[in-house]
Amino acid sequence: MSNYAVEVHNVKKSFYLPHHKNNSLKTAITQVFKKKDKGGNTFNALNGVSFNVEKGDFFGILGRNGSGKSTLLKIISEIYQPTSGTVKHEGKVVSFIELGVGFKTELSGRENVYLNGALLGFSKKEVEAMYDDIVEFAELEKFMDQKLKNYSSGMKVRLAFSVAIRAKADILILDEVLAVGDASFKRKCNEYFKTLKHDKKTVILVTHSMSDVREYCNKAIVIEKGKVQFEGGADEAAEEYLKLFEKK
Amino acid sequence: MFEKLYKKYRYSLILLRELVITDFKLRYQGSVLGYLWALLRPMFLFAIMYIFFVEVLHIGKEIPHWGVALLLGIVMWNFFTEVVGQGLKSIVNSGGIIRKINFPKYIIVISTSLSAFINLAINLGVVAIFGAIDGVEPSWGMLLIPVFVVELYIFGLGMAFFLSAVNVKFRDVGYIWEVVSQALFYGSAIMFPLDRVVSMSHDIAVFLAMNPVAQAIQDARYFGITNNLATAHTLTSNIWALLAPFVITLVMFVVGALYFRKRSPYFAEDI
Repeated sequence: MSNYAVEVHNVKKSFYLPHHKNNSLKTAITQVFKKKDKGGNTFNALNGVSFNVEKGDFFGILGRNGSGKSTLLKIISEIYQPTSGTVKHEGKVVSFIELGVGFKTELSGRENVYLNGALLGFSKKEVEAMYDDIVEFAELEKFMDQKLKNYSSGMKVRLAFSVAIRAKADILILDEVLAVGDASFKRKCNEYFKTLKHDKKTVILVTHSMSDVREYCNKAIVIEKGKVQFEGGADEAAEEYLKLFEKK
Repeated sequence: MFEKLYKKYRYSLILLRELVITDFKLRYQGSVLGYLWALLRPMFLFAIMYIFFVEVLHIGKEIPHWGVALLLGIVMWNFFTEVVGQGLKSIVNSGGIIRKINFPKYIIVISTSLSAFINLAINLGVVAIFGAIDGVEPSWGMLLIPVFVVELYIFGLGMAFFLSAVNVKFRDVGYIWEVVSQALFYGSAIMFPLDRVVSMSHDIAVFLAMNPVAQAIQDARYFGITNNLATAHTLTSNIWALLAPFVITLVMFVVGALYFRKRSPYFAEDI
């Protein structure tokens, strides 16, 4: 048993970008006959990324838009397969690439809590047991029997977040989930982060907020053009990240 | 051992349950009569077909209880096309969630197929009502109907696995299936007794009865409703011809499931 919660070893990912979207049999068949002209190019999103996350780390991933952060997160979360390289986990991974994935607008808030709970692996009974707490935390008592399509976007995020923080995971992966919400929501997020840190949970956080990085992360990497440009302490990483923007 | 199995599939089971419930709820969302439509719809449709085909066109009039046999065939056919047709779209339709969460993708295909089972159960209930009115004698053979339903299900699920995975890359699949399913519909002798084909060509009838859809439906009619109908084993005693539908079913399922398993890790980026 290693001490690492996540080991990312030399991960590369490339996407094939056709010039014309090749979504029909006809184009596929005609292409068999003219193999030379594939009419597209490959885009290398990640060019050999390696790093380790220790158990109990609050690990930040920083980088500009388009630097490959989200691709990396999706590979760690096993949503994408790496083109080459390996990712190893120890423990149960739960990732939030986005809040409220799988929400059905035609269903009520209550029904969506059960559906979202199931996506996190909670049985009906388990959701029932924590239902009141979820609703209270989201401050949506009066709206639970309303259809989700009548919710404001802030209400939806609050509901999703209240369910999400119930997730039982050894490794949590969070992708900019906190970029939304008002001051009171932000406060709740901060409290959640503090509990995670206090409970020594392993967390991988992608964010553009350097104050969050400085406050919660103990380690961080900076990704630029699909490579790890810096690896080290959170404060230094935040400096390094800000330097990326000074160059221009 | 059971506990181990349960632990392994616990997440899948929880998710499956919730997806089936959601699907059923959403289907009748916004209608005044709601779930009642699940029952009313087939009742009205059957009444129309029954009157038109039996009373007006006199197809299969020489066969006792042909009207009920017709309904049973249509119900089983609808079940099969729902499993395949909804299944093949299911993965692409769930693109949003597949791109954001890692979970076993086969759950999606199975959950749509289970929704088809709910419809089938309701429809079979309606057929039973028509059967009682028409005076079909209860028999032990009726117990074989679920067996043929399961056969049809396994065949349909295999196709759904295969086609849903292909559909991710080639959206033509939906159109091809529409055409193929029409051919299969007429080739399975659902709206007319298989005896009509026999009177044209015995060999063609045997050939048709080798496809799992035709065999399952004709056998369900033969054993469940009336043995005044032609079905695979009344047409031929060739063991290979009789085994063919079961072999095709099994091969389809294994090939479909394996192909799906091979492709599913790439669904998120290909959709």
